[in-house]
Amino acid sequence: MTMLFIIASLEALLAVIALAELGLEISLAAFGAILLLYLWVSTHDVKGRYTHLQRSEVPWLYDGIAEMARKAGLAMPKIYILDDYIPTAYSFKDTIVLSLGLFEVLDREEILAVAAHELGHIKNGDTKMFPLIAYGRYLMMVFTAVLIILTRDTAVSLASLTLLGLYEVVRANFHKEREFAADETALRLLETPMSLKRALEELKYYEDLRVGVKSSTLPSIEPTIDRNKRQKVQIIETHPSYDERIFRILVEMHGNNMFNNRVQ
Amino acid sequence: MEPHEFKLTEEGIKAVLPPLEAEIMEHMWRLKVATAGQVYEYMKEKHPDIRRSTISILMNRLCERGLLKRSVEKGRGGMRYVYSITSTREEFEEKVVQSILDALMTNFKEATYAYLSKIKK
Repeated sequence: MTMLFIIASLEALLAVIALAELGLEISLAAFGAILLLYLWVSTHDVKGRYTHLQRSEVPWLYDGIAEMARKAGLAMPKIYILDDYIPTAYSFKDTIVLSLGLFEVLDREEILAVAAHELGHIKNGDTKMFPLIAYGRYLMMVFTAVLIILTRDTAVSLASLTLLGLYEVVRANFHKEREFAADETALRLLETPMSLKRALEELKYYEDLRVGVKSSTLPSIEPTIDRNKRQKVQIIETHPSYDERIFRILVEMHGNNMFNNRVQ
Repeated sequence: MEPHEFKLTEEGIKAVLPPLEAEIMEHMWRLKVATAGQVYEYMKEKHPDIRRSTISILMNRLCERGLLKRSVEKGRGGMRYVYSITSTREEFEEKVVQSILDALMTNFKEATYAYLSKIKK
């Protein structure tokens, strides 16, 4: 996080040095715009295909999350159910979103494991940090474009592009580490930690079936689920693969014994 | 749903649908309305290794094909997707026959007429 802040500050400094007063004005305007965006987003609630879950609707889920929140020392988060048949979950502020698709492919313990991972993000402060990092990314992009267009100086353009590239790499690594950290927190919150591994395995199976359908063991299945269209192609992966996460969970749960057993 | 392929070697609706999707539709025509979980329990008896993900993907694929429709139901067990058929088996079969005959009449009009009149006799 500190590293990202340093890179963004260097980019702003570069703008001030290269463009003098205009650079300072652009920097201040950009920070102001981002601040306004942050305030607007943080004061507006979600709209659309979300349903705010009440305890009476799914008591086992509500109580399960309440118990884990208590263990984590957090206030009860808001739970939203998303009308989407693709299994997915995410969190922002003090809110956990679970798609209806999750309820079709996972059992209760596994759904709670997915919720525990999202609680992990809240507990670890990721839901506050991730938006800041995203805004920082927009700032970096704006500054780089402005510097290239206004200075028309090769050295300045190269320097700003390098800083942008550096920001992207550090951001991707940071996101990956936070995903692993959320899994680790989830393992401590869950009554049955293995349910997180099972959930990830099932979600991986779902993804594989969707993506690698031609080489699937079920030759007749050709799901053309429109998630492909929804997802942008990432140049730098910000999320670890399911396999990486499952491996880390096994290491976390078994420690070095796993490797010792294998050697024996 | 307009079938785009007809497999001469397959029986019943498997001629126009992949085998697992055909099995799901056979079951759905009997139940008319069901959750993916209920279909999974039924399919598991015949295919013990089948997973919930497979059933969910296939049922949503059938929604894309227009054979099923999905709606959100709020019940005692919480919110869930409920799938229902969009046409009866008879209506579906009628559509298949119509599509095939239309294609034959477009591509092989004389031969189709000749054969149909032969069958009539």
